[in-house]
Formats: sequence, C-alpha cells, structure tokens
Amino acid sequence: MSLLKLEHICYQYGRNARPVLNDLNYQFDSGNIYAIVGKSGAGKTTLLSILSSLASPTGGHIYLNDQDVSQIDKYRFRSRYVGVVFQNFNLLSHLTALENVVLSMNISGKHFDTPKKELALELLQKVSLSPDEANRRVLKLSGGQQQRVAIARALSYDPDIILADEPTGNLDEETQDEIIRIFRLLADEGKCVILVTHSPIVAQAADYVYELPRH
Amino acid sequence: MFLFQNALKSITRNKLRNILIGIIVLVIAVSACTALSIRQAAQTAKEDTLSQMTITAQISFDRTQAMEQMAQPDMENGKPDQAPDADTSFDRRNFDFDILQGSSLTLEDYIQYAQAQSDGDSYYYSGAFSLDATGDLLPYGTEEDDEESDESSETSQDFSMQPPGGMENGFPGGGERFQVNTGDFAITGYSSYDAMLSMFGEDGSYMITDGEMFDETSEELTCIISNELALYNNLSVGDTLTLCNPQCEDETYTLTISGIYTNSASSSEEQNRFSMNDPANNIYMNYTALSDIADASSEADNTTTDSSGEEQSAALNITLAFTYTFTNIEHYEQFEEQVYELGLSEDYTVSSSDLTAFENSLTPLETLSTTALWFFLIVLIVGGIILVTLNIFNLRERKYEVGVLTAIGMKKSRVAVQFVIELFLVTFVSMMIGTAIGAAVSVPVTNTLLSGQIEKNEQSNASVSENFGFDPGQSAGERMARPDGSPAVSYVNSVSSATNLTVILQLVGVGILLTIVSSLAALISIMRYEPLKILSSRS
Ligand SMILES: Nc1ncnc2c1ncn2[C@@H]1O[C@H](COP(=O)(O)OP(=O)(O)O)[C@@H](O)[C@H]1O
Ligand SMILES: [Mg+2]
Repeated sequence: MSLLKLEHICYQYGRNARPVLNDLNYQFDSGNIYAIVGKSGAGKTTLLSILSSLASPTGGHIYLNDQDVSQIDKYRFRSRYVGVVFQNFNLLSHLTALENVVLSMNISGKHFDTPKKELALELLQKVSLSPDEANRRVLKLSGGQQQRVAIARALSYDPDIILADEPTGNLDEETQDEIIRIFRLLADEGKCVILVTHSPIVAQAADYVYELPRH
Repeated sequence: MFLFQNALKSITRNKLRNILIGIIVLVIAVSACTALSIRQAAQTAKEDTLSQMTITAQISFDRTQAMEQMAQPDMENGKPDQAPDADTSFDRRNFDFDILQGSSLTLEDYIQYAQAQSDGDSYYYSGAFSLDATGDLLPYGTEEDDEESDESSETSQDFSMQPPGGMENGFPGGGERFQVNTGDFAITGYSSYDAMLSMFGEDGSYMITDGEMFDETSEELTCIISNELALYNNLSVGDTLTLCNPQCEDETYTLTISGIYTNSASSSEEQNRFSMNDPANNIYMNYTALSDIADASSEADNTTTDSSGEEQSAALNITLAFTYTFTNIEHYEQFEEQVYELGLSEDYTVSSSDLTAFENSLTPLETLSTTALWFFLIVLIVGGIILVTLNIFNLRERKYEVGVLTAIGMKKSRVAVQFVIELFLVTFVSMMIGTAIGAAVSVPVTNTLLSGQIEKNEQSNASVSENFGFDPGQSAGERMARPDGSPAVSYVNSVSSATNLTVILQLVGVGILLTIVSSLAALISIMRYEPLKILSSRS
C-alpha cells in the first residue's frame, strides 16, 4: 500500500484545451524525497495543484492510503494532510513570519499540546530563522527567509506529505543546499516530500525522480 | 476565536483602508444620529404636551360638507326637460340656508352626547341672547340725544356674535355664525365656574373690581356688568337693571348687579360700532337664571310681524355654546368616534381649537422632522452606495489574501465571516463615535434649525397676513380673540433632550444594516473566488 497513488491522472484547462497532464501513474511513500521534473510549461505546477486538491483531475484517481481523495473535503485535505510550499510562497504580507505559521495551525483546527506560538517558534528555528526574524513582517524578509517561512508553515500542522513547487527557484547555491538539507531532514523524520522542479541539482538530491513527458 | 483575532490584526495592519470606511460610517452615524434625534425630539415634544394637555372640544355643523351635498345635482328631483349642460350651473334658488344653518342642537342633545366621554372628562356650556335697554339705561357707546344711533341698534341685523363660550376657545364650532337679533346688551349665562374660568381665569384681562361674582347655581337674576357700563349709567353693586326683549318692549326682566368687572382688553376696540358688540355691554350671569328668562319669554308668547307680514314668535332664543373637556387625547379621539353612535348626525363634526392650536405650534418642529427623515434616508442611501463601492475595491485588493487563506485550507465561509467581523468592528466603533458626536450636537443643532424654520414660517405667515389680512397660523377662534394682531401661535421653539434609547437602538439598526449591505458585496465575491485562479494569475 502506498501513501499516495495516482492512477491515470489527466488534466486539461477547459474542455477544448490541449491536455496538460496525460495518464500519469505515480506512487509516493513515506520517508522519501520525490522529484517531479520537466521543462517549463510541462505541467509541474498543475500536477502540484492536483496533488494538493486545489484542482480536481479531469480524469483518473488519487488515493491517500487507499482512500479516494475526491471523497475527502478539499479544505480538510489541504489543511491537514498536505503541506504546500508554493512557488511564490503565498505568505500573508500583513502578518509576521510567526503569525503566518500560527494562522495555518489555527486553520487546520488541530489540537496542539504545546502553545501554538511556542511550537511555531520551534518550527521556524528548525528552518534556521531566529526569533527576531520570526517576529518580522514577511515583506521584510529575504527570498530565502520567506522560503523557510513557507516551509515552516507547511509543516505547522504536521502533515504526512510536503509538496514544494520550485523550492530552490530564485535562491543562491548556498541557500539551495540549505533548503535541500531541510527536506532531507523531513524525509528522515518519515515525511513524504514531493518536490516539483526543473533544477537538476534538486533532482539529484531526490530518492526518486518522475519526469513529465514532453508534449 | 482566531477569526476574531485575525479580523483585529487585519484591521490594525491595514489602517488606511479601514480609516476610510470608518470616516464614511462616522459621517453617516453623525448625520443619522442628528436626524433621528430631531425626529425623536419632535415626537417627545408632541407626546409630552399631549399627555398633559386638557383638550376642549366643540360639536359644530360642518358647513363645507353641507355645501358639497347641495352642489351635487339631485337626480331624483332633476327636471327631465332641462338642457344637459344646465345641471352644471349652480342654481342659487336651490341654495338652502336652512341646511347651511343646520338644525341647532339642544342642550339635551349636547348632554346626551356627553355619554361618549370617559371618566374624568367633563363639559360646560354657556348660553347667550341679547336684551335691550329700558328707561334711562343706556348701552355703553351710544349717545343720549342721538336718536338715529338708537334706531340703528334696534334694527335687526345679522352679524357674528362674540363667542359666548369664552375667548380662549374661540368661536364655538370653529367659526360658526349665529344669526341673532341685535340688542343693546349681550347676556351670557354660564353653566359653571369652569365655563367662566375659560374667560375670566386664564388670560387675566377680566377682573371683578367691585362686589362679587354671581352665584353659580342661584336662580335669582343676578349678574355682573362692565365697569364702563356702570360708570356710564352711574350704577353700583346692588342696583338693578331693567331690560326688555328686543322684539317686544313690554317683556321686561330685572337683573340685580352683584359685581362689576373690568376688561383691560376690550375698551379700545373702535371697530365695534354696534353697541351689543362692544364688550363693555356684555352682561354675565349663570345659565340657570338665563334659561329662566328664556322660559319666561316663551311663556309670555309674544309675537312680531316680519317684513312679509307673517307672524313670528318673539320669544328669546338661547344661542348655546357647549364645550366638552377631555383629560387626554385618547378620550378626545374616543369621543370623536363614539359620539356618532349616540345619534349625532354626520353633518356635524367634533373639533378642538386648542388641539388645532397645539398642532400649529408644532408645525416648524414637524417640518424639521420631515426634512430630517429625508436627510436621513438620503444619507443612508448615498452612504450605503459609497460603502459598497469602497468594499468592492477593497475586496479586489484582498483577492490574493482570500486565495492564500483558501489555498492553505480555510473554508470560504470562514473567510467571509472574518471579513464580516472586520466590517462589523469598524462600523461599530465608528457608529459609537458618531453617535457620541451626534448626541452632543443634536440638541443645539435641532434648536438652531428650529429657530430657522420658525423664522421661515413666520415670514411666510407674515406675507399671507399682508395679502389676506389674517395669520394662517391662527385658528378662526384665535383670529377673533386677538384682533390686535399679536402672534397667536407660540411655536415650540426648543427641545431639551433628543438622543435617547430609542435613537440609539435605531442607530444600532443602522449599523447592522450598513454592515450587512457592505458585507453583501464581500460575501458574493468571496464565494465566487477560486484559489487556483487567484494564485496562478498572481504568478
Ligand atoms: N489557469 C490556466 N489556464 C489555462 N492554462 C493554463 C493555466 N495554468 C497553466 N496553464 C497551461 O498549462 C501548461 C502547464 O502549466 P504549468 O503547470 O504552470 O507548467 P510548469 O509549472 O511546469 O511550468 C502550460 O502550457 C500553461 O500554459
Ligand atoms: Mg510552475
């Protein structure tokens, strides 16, 4: 039994549009890093949207522990089972790094034994952000720092699956390495990490690589 | 409740947006509070006075209605050979003065109708007729040797008589005219001191300067006469007056003078050329005695011959003025309804001149109140439109925020709730500040606007007065009572409190309404948002 299983996944934007994804059959398991690679426009972000239930596949099924994901409330799925690190982070700019993380905890509706603020600070520390940086508005953080906040937010409700879209996109090499190190750490903790990327360095770091076919 | 915390953070971290909404709501709140307070003040002023006011009312013949009925072409009696257009012209020969006069009600009728009154209500009445002087006695204002003037006072004339019901109440029945035969003296009899008080007590222009008031119930023919008449005829308390029926000199009555009164308001009135119309020739007594004279007169059964040679009774005819008093407006309104069930014809109306005067006194405040209502509605509508527009713009700006929140798993409905909480908080804080400002300024603003409105009313009344010679703000009775033209209407010219619980509750309603209206736009657009589209359009 796989944690996440795609069966004949197809997707097209609009009825008469050219299909972006065509008959994908992938499996994802805990404790591994997966890299989905492809050229720009190959449909990587689209696949990530489907994996995070932001979009429903136009064909095929996704199973989470053998349960059809379409049966799960998509808000619940997004706020409990998968943590998404968006390509452009999608952090709320009027909040601090810490508040972004706490907000995500609140939305999940999950019960936490430790106070949420403490937990959030710990998470931010884990992705190498100081308490001072944690209390800054996200707009006053660098791209790399925002990337870490986004990762911390994706981890905030302790999901089994972490999805990241081009996690090293605009980062310098040193920061890229640091981010990859964090993902490795998470996989070692038992999470299933799925990275969508066009970067060969990231693909190299992954345990498994799925390449999206060119159209 | 993280939604509430989120809302608070969102408000405090996006000050500009919320200050803009706040200012608009504040303007609406101040305007609404002032406008509603003005309305409340008008309402309070009216209710307070009405609840304390003793209302006096008269039953009078509705001449307008009778005229209308007469003007209706009577189909049954219409002549069939008449040209079709003929019935559009008014035939003066059809003019029935008897109908217009109305069959006057008797004292028994009036007392019967009093059954429609409630506990605590009462009535009083007065009667009047005129008598002529006999012997050496001369009415005030006539000259001893001037035979012609004496002649003229003997001739039968129709003119309006002074209201026997008392000056304050105006003419009984709001301007009904009585046809009376001119005599030298107007004899008025009152049913009770209540009835007299309405003349003697209230404006203070009448005063007993010698002797005493006649007995309220005595059947003796005692009376009080004016100081002028006493001086003119060298009469003093205890002397007697011998008067006769103007139609029949042989029918005489002797009255004993129990007191002499002065009337500070009357003596200067030059325009009263007929002696009976000079207030100095008013003689007052009680109704019992007056009606005894009338009874004696009809027993005497004297007759006169009129111009057409027909014989008519010369008996003295009492002109009645009957006044009902009510302790409150509800009693009056109930009376107005029920009196017809007791058999009063629909040709008669119940009217109250003091109620009319009171309503007139409220005119500026009520005009202001109506203006305030329109102002309030316009502010509400314009303000509402601005708020909705502003919210639509704000929401476009927040599209991304909605996208992010839903993308990380927040339900659209909860996003909507958070946004509504934000609007609600901003609206309520602004409403509270606005209400406080409005409450502080509403009394002075109301009074300033009110004095402006009164000035306007007085100006327009003055111009009507110039053109038509009377003040439209006055009732007919008041015009009669105040020939010197002093302003009869004292407008309600200030309010003391305006913003009360009712106003605050109304403002809470306004606040909720504004929140709903402005969030409606937010809710609709949030529900239509798709996070994927919002997020992908961003990147
Ligand atoms: N919202 C959309 N509507 C229509 N077409 C889209 C939309 N988003 C992406 N596409 C198309 O789908 C294809 C895949 O896009 P995407 O998944 O963003 O590629 P990648 O992330 O691999 O660069 C592209 O050809 C793109 O033009
Ligand atoms: Mg992409």
